[in-house]
Amino acid sequence: MRQLSLWQELPRMEEDMSESAVAELPLQPVQSRRFLKPETQTAMVFLLPSFLGFMIFIALPIMASLALSFTNWQLISTPAFVGFQNYIKLFTVDPAFYTILSNTLFFAVEYLALNVIVSLTLAVWISSLKHGKAIFRVIFFLPTFTPTIAASVVWLLIFTPDGLADTIIRSLGLGLPNFLLSSSWAMQAVVLVTLWANVGYNVVMFNAALDLVPKQYLEAAMIDGAGPWRRFWRIRLPLISPTVFFATVMTAITSLQVFDEIFAMTRGGPGSATATLGFAIYQKGFTNFQMGYASALAWVMFVMIMALTILQFRMQRKWVHYDE
Amino acid sequence: MKVLKKTLMLAAIGSSLFATAASAEQVNLTWQMWTGSDADTKSWQHLADMVTAKYPDIKVTLTTTGWVDYWTRLPVLAASGQLADIVSMQSLRMPNFYSLLEPLNDRIAADKFDVGAFTPSIIGGMSVDKQLYGLPYDVGPWVIYYNQDALEAAGIPLPKPGWTLAEFTDAAKKLTKDGKYGFGITPQNYSVLASAWGDKYINDAGELDLINPSAVAAADKVIGFAAKDKIAPLVPSSADAGNVIQGRFNSGNVAMYIDGPWSIIGMKGKANFKIGLTTLPRDQGELSAVTAGSGFGIATTSKNKDAAWKAIQVLTSPEALAYLAEGGRALPARTASQSSWYKVAAKDITNGGEAIDYSLAHSVPYVITNNWAAVENLFNQYFPPAFAGSADAKQTMDAIQSLAQQ
Repeated sequence: MRQLSLWQELPRMEEDMSESAVAELPLQPVQSRRFLKPETQTAMVFLLPSFLGFMIFIALPIMASLALSFTNWQLISTPAFVGFQNYIKLFTVDPAFYTILSNTLFFAVEYLALNVIVSLTLAVWISSLKHGKAIFRVIFFLPTFTPTIAASVVWLLIFTPDGLADTIIRSLGLGLPNFLLSSSWAMQAVVLVTLWANVGYNVVMFNAALDLVPKQYLEAAMIDGAGPWRRFWRIRLPLISPTVFFATVMTAITSLQVFDEIFAMTRGGPGSATATLGFAIYQKGFTNFQMGYASALAWVMFVMIMALTILQFRMQRKWVHYDE
Repeated sequence: MKVLKKTLMLAAIGSSLFATAASAEQVNLTWQMWTGSDADTKSWQHLADMVTAKYPDIKVTLTTTGWVDYWTRLPVLAASGQLADIVSMQSLRMPNFYSLLEPLNDRIAADKFDVGAFTPSIIGGMSVDKQLYGLPYDVGPWVIYYNQDALEAAGIPLPKPGWTLAEFTDAAKKLTKDGKYGFGITPQNYSVLASAWGDKYINDAGELDLINPSAVAAADKVIGFAAKDKIAPLVPSSADAGNVIQGRFNSGNVAMYIDGPWSIIGMKGKANFKIGLTTLPRDQGELSAVTAGSGFGIATTSKNKDAAWKAIQVLTSPEALAYLAEGGRALPARTASQSSWYKVAAKDITNGGEAIDYSLAHSVPYVITNNWAAVENLFNQYFPPAFAGSADAKQTMDAIQSLAQQ
């Protein structure tokens, strides 16, 4: 708003000046005067560390990885330009690529859906409690403090053949196979552990959003005879939809990048049942020393994340309600 | 004349001072090494100090990293031009990284360095195309660790070095009862066992060949331990299947497993039963016990290669290896120093020296490809479902062969 008023005032100031005075003034473009404003200078000084950090640690590596994706760099040798060969190999030759891609999408969709449903359910339940809200928030948030690798190693011991999970499954007579040895069930173990480790973050966020829903709306709805489900669906959910949208976007991004749990629990196995893009990038880059190929995989992941995020931003118009 | 004399004398004094200063010029070497504990680090520091004790003008600065991180950091350091002068290298990683190291054959010939003092298999392991890239400090054949109490309780005679696959399987079957297993196997054991039985998984051209009948037959036997005979517990495709099996051995849940002599020192106090050692089981022919070990090379980027050459000779000298052996740290790569390791590390282990002696006498270099880390990852991914009976040996080897060539 302030910028607009300055633009409007400038022509008037020039009209007031005499011709001689105008002639004596050095020719100074309006644009540069705006840049030199003290608040702009201050802002730039404060922004500079972040900007430098962004350029050095984010922008440059991103550009470097794009450049590397067109090379056959093996880390210990000089990279040679190979054009689109890595991408062509990825889509037409690598027998594991489409499995990796489908594993990644499968994990992302299942984990995202479960995370939002479970965290929302828990948040609604906690907000309905009269006592002990803080305790439950802490309980569900605690696993997010635990290093994922450490938690995954513990879960590995639980799921290992003849481990605790097998004992429980056997004693309940469920007839399920060992999760980590079954191509169909291994990903479910990874989803379960990731959910356990991360669901608390969204629970706390949704819980905070639910607590901010004005009580009078809910009371008015109750007086009008709306039941709990109707109140949730028609009042609470629309009012917390910006928070749900934020959580959905962030969870989708992290789920496409899943690595820690797979690295510690399955190493992509059994077979290639849990090999995802995040794990494949590590494996190709730091185990197989195919850094160019790993960079190409990273760019495929980037495009997927970008596409999904754009899709989510487009779809938000239909279901996210902002308080205007 | 007097002036000339004085000038000459001053010049002589000056030049002699300069010469003294030049000869005493300090050479600072860096050395990158892995470590597992503070005691480990102290051992390596002691070796670094031994270099300075012998060559006062050489100072070695040690930098250490954990074992797993070491192999991730090594190529990153190389790519960023930050390799140390002395680079520690494991024989199994040599095919991946030999290009970072200075070839040593010319220096060995020039100094008449006695390579024959080392166990031949580890010299082979530290070489690529008959060019030696590092001097080894330790060597170790894979052997079988057994729970002596369990064997005695089952009435099984203690296995003698050179025992057969049939004897081994029979013992493992007798030991498998009451929820306990006779043998603990990991996917990485495949190549070690295939070699021991004389089955080839690499062709004469040095290429991975997992689909030849011999390699598939070996896989069938390995998979059969878990899938058919049920003498081995199933393992997941996790990062540390070896640690899981070692843990189950220490807790008495598996009676035998495969490991190297380097694990003895870490085992003390963990198992509350008597531990024995024997060789890998042989098949029809003689045992071919593959060995691994580690040593020190000179980085191609080093600016002090001559000093580094002197330093690695000290680091692998009889005195240095005797020091490591007496601490139980490593089975020395020098044949003459091996007895000191037996006296310390293997003294509480039944038949420890005997099993290792026999294995070393039947040792062969571990034949691997230059993408072996990738191949081992695939073993780790594809053997567990086969152990569980979801795939047979042929399908497993086909999948690994196909993916390893990408």
